[in-house]
Amino acid sequence: MNKMTSVFGRSLLLLELCAFLVVPLEVSAQSPQATPPPPAPPRSVEFPKPVEQTLANGLRVIVIERSDTPLVSAQLIIKNGGEVDPPELPGLADMTANLLTKGTQSRDATQIAEAVEALGGSLDSGARWDASNATVGVMSAKIGPAMEILADVVRRPTFKSEEVERLRQQYLDNLTLALGQPGAIARFVAARVVFGDAPYGHPTSGTPASLARISREDLAKMHERFYRPDNAILVIGGDLKSKDAFALATRYFGDWQKPMTAIPVSGAAASIVAGKPGRVVVIDKPDAGQAAVYLARIGINRKDADYFRGIVANSVLNGYSGRLNQEIRIKRGLSYGAASTLDTRRDVGPFAASAQTKNQSGAQVADLLIGEIERLTSSPPSEAELTPRKAVLIGNFSRNLETVNGLVSQVSSLALYGLDLNEINRYIQNVQTISSADVQKFAGTRLDAKGANIIIVGNAKEFLPELGRHFQNVEVIPVAELDLNTALLRKKKQSE
Amino acid sequence: MPRNNLVRVTLIATLFLLLPSGLMSQTRMPQLRFTDRTLPNGLRILSAPDHSSPTVAIQVWYHVGSKDDPQNRSGFAHLFEHIMFKSTKNMKSEMMDRLTEDVGGFNNAFTADDVTVYFEVVPSNYLETLIWAEADRLSGLNVDDANFKSERDVVKEEYRQSVLAPPYGRFEYLLQQKSFLQHPYKRPTIGSIEDLDAASLKDVQDFHTTYYRPDNATLVVVGDFEPKQLDAWVDKYFGPIPRPDRALPRVQIKEPARSAETRVTEYGHNDLPAVGLTYLTPRQADPDSDALRVADAILSAGESSRLYHALVYEQQLAAEAGANAESREDASLFVLTAVLSEGKKPEDVERSLLAEVKKMQEAPVSATELEKAKNQIITDQLRQRETSNGKALALGEAAVLLGDPARVNTDLERLQRVTAADVQRVAKKYLTDANRLVLYYLPEAAKKVNNGSPDGDDLLERARRAGK
Repeated sequence: MNKMTSVFGRSLLLLELCAFLVVPLEVSAQSPQATPPPPAPPRSVEFPKPVEQTLANGLRVIVIERSDTPLVSAQLIIKNGGEVDPPELPGLADMTANLLTKGTQSRDATQIAEAVEALGGSLDSGARWDASNATVGVMSAKIGPAMEILADVVRRPTFKSEEVERLRQQYLDNLTLALGQPGAIARFVAARVVFGDAPYGHPTSGTPASLARISREDLAKMHERFYRPDNAILVIGGDLKSKDAFALATRYFGDWQKPMTAIPVSGAAASIVAGKPGRVVVIDKPDAGQAAVYLARIGINRKDADYFRGIVANSVLNGYSGRLNQEIRIKRGLSYGAASTLDTRRDVGPFAASAQTKNQSGAQVADLLIGEIERLTSSPPSEAELTPRKAVLIGNFSRNLETVNGLVSQVSSLALYGLDLNEINRYIQNVQTISSADVQKFAGTRLDAKGANIIIVGNAKEFLPELGRHFQNVEVIPVAELDLNTALLRKKKQSE
Repeated sequence: MPRNNLVRVTLIATLFLLLPSGLMSQTRMPQLRFTDRTLPNGLRILSAPDHSSPTVAIQVWYHVGSKDDPQNRSGFAHLFEHIMFKSTKNMKSEMMDRLTEDVGGFNNAFTADDVTVYFEVVPSNYLETLIWAEADRLSGLNVDDANFKSERDVVKEEYRQSVLAPPYGRFEYLLQQKSFLQHPYKRPTIGSIEDLDAASLKDVQDFHTTYYRPDNATLVVVGDFEPKQLDAWVDKYFGPIPRPDRALPRVQIKEPARSAETRVTEYGHNDLPAVGLTYLTPRQADPDSDALRVADAILSAGESSRLYHALVYEQQLAAEAGANAESREDASLFVLTAVLSEGKKPEDVERSLLAEVKKMQEAPVSATELEKAKNQIITDQLRQRETSNGKALALGEAAVLLGDPARVNTDLERLQRVTAADVQRVAKKYLTDANRLVLYYLPEAAKKVNNGSPDGDDLLERARRAGK
């Protein structure tokens, strides 16, 4: 090592000479080796521009040509998801979407899997808030047969009883697992606290009670109501010509009949009838090894004019080098990691900041979360702090668009929310223009910590005394009495 | 402790997945156009501009892997890879994480039998920063004993997590260990706790001096950059690193051909027994690798594969069954494995695996199966090559492990030409009785019924009887 070091030292002179050729003068004033060279200005690229047509049956078809790799991805989106679950049947939209690939009028589950394997492709389906979707990905030469399979599963699923039971059991197993974990419980409870009994308040994957209630008829009815061409978008991206893509769409979806009935009105919270803000909810789970701490409040919807201010503000808080992790993990060692999310939806979605910590530190971490939200206003980021936080957003966005699947998902999301599809070509610029003052203003007007709720799931006796000194209105619910089916969060006495 | 340790250890095995693949007649395959340049100090640079997204992938392939672990230091190449994330002359510990993750990128590294690869993906305006950083850690490490020991502890935890903790971790470890008699491939990449404990800071310095030199490195850059600017940065930061005048040591040992079946029984904390078969196959660059890859896909890719259909679905003998055409630079393995279903006997599972081998030798695979296998392999390859990082991996592998970067394109065409007769021919040639190792991996509980006889066959027989 010593030998290498001395040789390296000799070469410094050479390097400094070279430095004048390629590095701006102010940088060459110091040794170019000692510190990393600074970034160049961000480069811009042109992402392909989506084109679209609407079929006679109302199906909106969007095509994005990208020919560098012979792959095609096709995604059929239904413009409703978990938000239209009936109040007594959380999980219905997700189960419906999941069962699409488990049997149609002409193929059983195994035959669907085999047909997709023969093409060397993949087929997935599922639901989330605001949307349900089915997606195929194949080599471009196989897109014809792949579209036939996609149309078959979307249009003609059979919801066979044995497949329903199999999936119900899977969902129950997953839920049992989740309900043993403080982090997952806190996430479910936070949604109920922020949205009350309005849509977005329940778990999209269901509750033990709702999963037990969902019947084959409920699934078929959900499919009949929402899976219709005039409530759907088909996005096809990759290595094919737009005219061929439109022809495939017409061939496999053109004869999909639009029902005479009106499109069901989206059940999403037209106005947020959320529970009153400022709740402090403790779920007492005496066997919890760690406490999960959430700060949660309403955020913004996807079309909000403040969207880019919002995602940059969130990026200042979130990530390994974001403020939450700096304060909670790096400075104090109170958690393995702290994070925040600004989840934007058709209607106003949630903002949440969270961390898991040892039970004794639950109240302290709640204070730190509140403190960091407030500090966005009192101490907005400097340019030096803001630049890398914006780079994180731009880097994630750009890497996501490297793949056809990423490109199709991004465009689908814009289409779902009625946004200009060419926003993919303005994203980087939109993030770049956000200033520290924008972040400060957004935090002050849209993320006020005083309107936030606190949720802690853990061994309450370890943190309750301290929490009680900071908040007067603490609700404590033993985990055994937790009921996610209602904003009250408690099982009714008579049902016990 | 770096947060991505977990990922690093899982990547040890991923090189097996990077086999070259082929071309469908009806699909136009993308050609990766690259520039191949070598600096006076021996550093090879392969670069391919691609402006479809403003990101860039940077990789440094060092032609040193676990087969080059020093004597009695198994696991050292992998331990060393971790040390490369500690401090260098100009970088603090874990600074590579900050230079990438904090600007919207990521970084990682992996160690395989033949190579050690470091990679980063960052927004393209950070390219110069990463070229500087990679040159800095090639130039020299600045690791103290405390740093070394703490990272060695991390690697020991990885050993426990990847070999000891998973129920079949040691099974996979043993499959490789028992499959090679002479070649250093018999030391699995993760090494052993005793050898890791014996390693010292001096070993680190010696290893860096011996193998981390520009003429043993290939820099691969793919993505959004201007070639002239890249050349200038590479010249500036890598150019001054001297080429040592010592010779580069290379493994010369050849693995001898197998002449008779070998049978091994081992015990672990698995609940269900596992059976593994390995066959010695040629080095990765051999033309037969393509047909073996196709045979692997026909046997094991998806629920309609032969092994899944026969052993899991029809006969219900196994909970899982798989095949893997593992490829290595000097000699490879074709591996078949199965984890048994409750109450089934290992010899029945072995018989079923062998029946599938025999089927492949006696009749050509159907046209449908052949096309499905090629579709699966090619689609996987195309997916990998969608990203800059994936393209760079394919290019680096062709250059370093296959000895010719142009194979990144030609191998795609070659795989397309594999016929049913080729698959049958390689099955007959390599999947023979004399070329087979059979490993039974039985639950420790089964051993307890034995009263201390060291004879493996006897143990096995008793275990079988106990299972009845």
